[in-house]
Amino acid sequence: MTLLEVPAPPRAAGPTTPAAVTTPWWRRVARAAPPYLFLAPGLALLVVWTYRPLVSTVRLSFLSWNLLPTSPARSVGLDNFARLFALPDFGAAIGRTAVLILGLLPFTLVVPVAVGLLARRVRGRAATVYQAMVFAPMLVAPVAGAAVWQWMLDPRAGLVNRVLGTTTNWLQEPASAQLAVIVVTGWHVLGFATLVVAAGLAGIDSEYSAAASLDGATRWQATRWLTLPLLSPTLSFLSLMTLLLAAQWSFPLVNTVTHGGPSGATTNIYFLLWDYAFGSFDAGLGAAAGLVFFLGFGLVALVLVRLTERLSFHDS
Amino acid sequence: MTPELLAPSHVEVPVPVHAPSDGAVVLREPRLRAVLGHVVLGLLGIACVVPLYWLYATSLRAPENIYSLTPFPWPLSVENYAEAWGAVNLPRLLVNTFVMATMVALGQLLTGLLAGYAFAAWTFRFQNALYLVFIATWLVPFQVTMVPNYALLSELGVLNTIAGAIIPNLCTALAVIMLRTHVRSIPRELLEAARMDGRTAWSTLWTVVVPNLGPALAALGVLLFINAWNEYFWPALVLQRTNDVLQLALHSFIGPEGTQWGPLMATAGLACLPVLILYLVLQRRIVDGFVRSGLR
Repeated sequence: MTLLEVPAPPRAAGPTTPAAVTTPWWRRVARAAPPYLFLAPGLALLVVWTYRPLVSTVRLSFLSWNLLPTSPARSVGLDNFARLFALPDFGAAIGRTAVLILGLLPFTLVVPVAVGLLARRVRGRAATVYQAMVFAPMLVAPVAGAAVWQWMLDPRAGLVNRVLGTTTNWLQEPASAQLAVIVVTGWHVLGFATLVVAAGLAGIDSEYSAAASLDGATRWQATRWLTLPLLSPTLSFLSLMTLLLAAQWSFPLVNTVTHGGPSGATTNIYFLLWDYAFGSFDAGLGAAAGLVFFLGFGLVALVLVRLTERLSFHDS
Repeated sequence: MTPELLAPSHVEVPVPVHAPSDGAVVLREPRLRAVLGHVVLGLLGIACVVPLYWLYATSLRAPENIYSLTPFPWPLSVENYAEAWGAVNLPRLLVNTFVMATMVALGQLLTGLLAGYAFAAWTFRFQNALYLVFIATWLVPFQVTMVPNYALLSELGVLNTIAGAIIPNLCTALAVIMLRTHVRSIPRELLEAARMDGRTAWSTLWTVVVPNLGPALAALGVLLFINAWNEYFWPALVLQRTNDVLQLALHSFIGPEGTQWGPLMATAGLACLPVLILYLVLQRRIVDGFVRSGLR
């Protein structure tokens, strides 16, 4: 899937050509209106519930306010931003979020592609069963998943330590806590990514591979030079989703199990936002951080989309 | 994947190469490759399912065996479920969660269908910019919108009601993206023919587009239902005083004096059960609906 698509070739132009010049303006408006009317309900909801809050966040980022309705908010100019960039937590949280994103890519790209390709070999009933098993974690509510993993990672009675014969306190040691967050979040999103890859693979015409094998290509060659390039829109969609949503996906786990700890080892950017607002009641700082993340992610996403548009390979 | 494994497919070509049907291709594959596939997929599948199995296994152990590691919980006991039943009002939670998830999924399906239809069936000014407005919601995390939205819900007087948990979530980018792709896959001639017939865009949507998208709509609807059923943070904020949905009730078993693993696993198991059943029953259709769209 490409996110920014070049407009489709003009459709049968219909009656809008030269006659449009002479038709009265209200006719033209009525003719152009339908797509906008169909978009209106969704757009209205987004404006009210996503973009209006974003605007108030912009306003809030220039204020100092402790979230209490009774205490007045004070304008502080760019102070919140200056404080934010001076805080060591801020850079550290960004670094940890980068680690999280990189750590999740195997779960959202590598394993789903491997599963998709292997499932084509196995086929039949067995393939359906394996796929169902891989999808299953997607169905588990994040909080229920967090609870069962906390139980399995319990240092004394947990399944993981008893099976591995270790005594690691997974969630209380900085290095292993981040690893645990990555693995558990990966376990959760793997099913969705696999489903998306399966859809992408199904959309690729199998005649291409057949033609390639007629030309004497080995399976690996056909996969490397045909299937993967044709799959690139799906892969770029998944990378974009991982980039933008990784910190969100891990949030329920971080919030209910590690609380950002131990000693901040699992504090990613969105947990930091949460903490600024509800931990230290510093709404201005939280808003400033939220705004910086929004702009930063927007920029990175834009670069990624442009890049994939140039690199992807379209089957047209 | 090593070159050694691949070599045989080069050398031995037991059936005519040009046989294009599926069966022939499978025959040509050395058995080893299929075995490798079974082993890798099987292990991965088991790894994915173990936590889920452990959830139910723990919930069915007798309280005194809760720390036991035997793979099968024996003797089976429903004591944890009984305790959970006594601690929280499960039927009420199930009904509330069901109402919330259904309304959210239907709302998202409807707004997504209308917007997806607009993007797929017309070429219009600001089309790309408006599409970006939908995609860009992924850049705005819940943590940014929560404070202003909480304030607005409080002004509307729907805090601590199920409506408050539903209204802000009636539109999602995922539905718009997917339904745009689905509508595009409908042959353009069909839409043109409807227009020639003199049907309005609105009646074309309901008489041509929707009947053609049946399985895809069902699959997406189930997916959205599952997401809404599992939603935690927004309900947690809105329903602070009532804790009226399942995901919130889980927290009553996690206390400062230690976690009650048994009842917690029982409630978590019940919270996942409807969704698991829904998925098991509809699995074929969900996957097909998704796959047929060629989401790309």
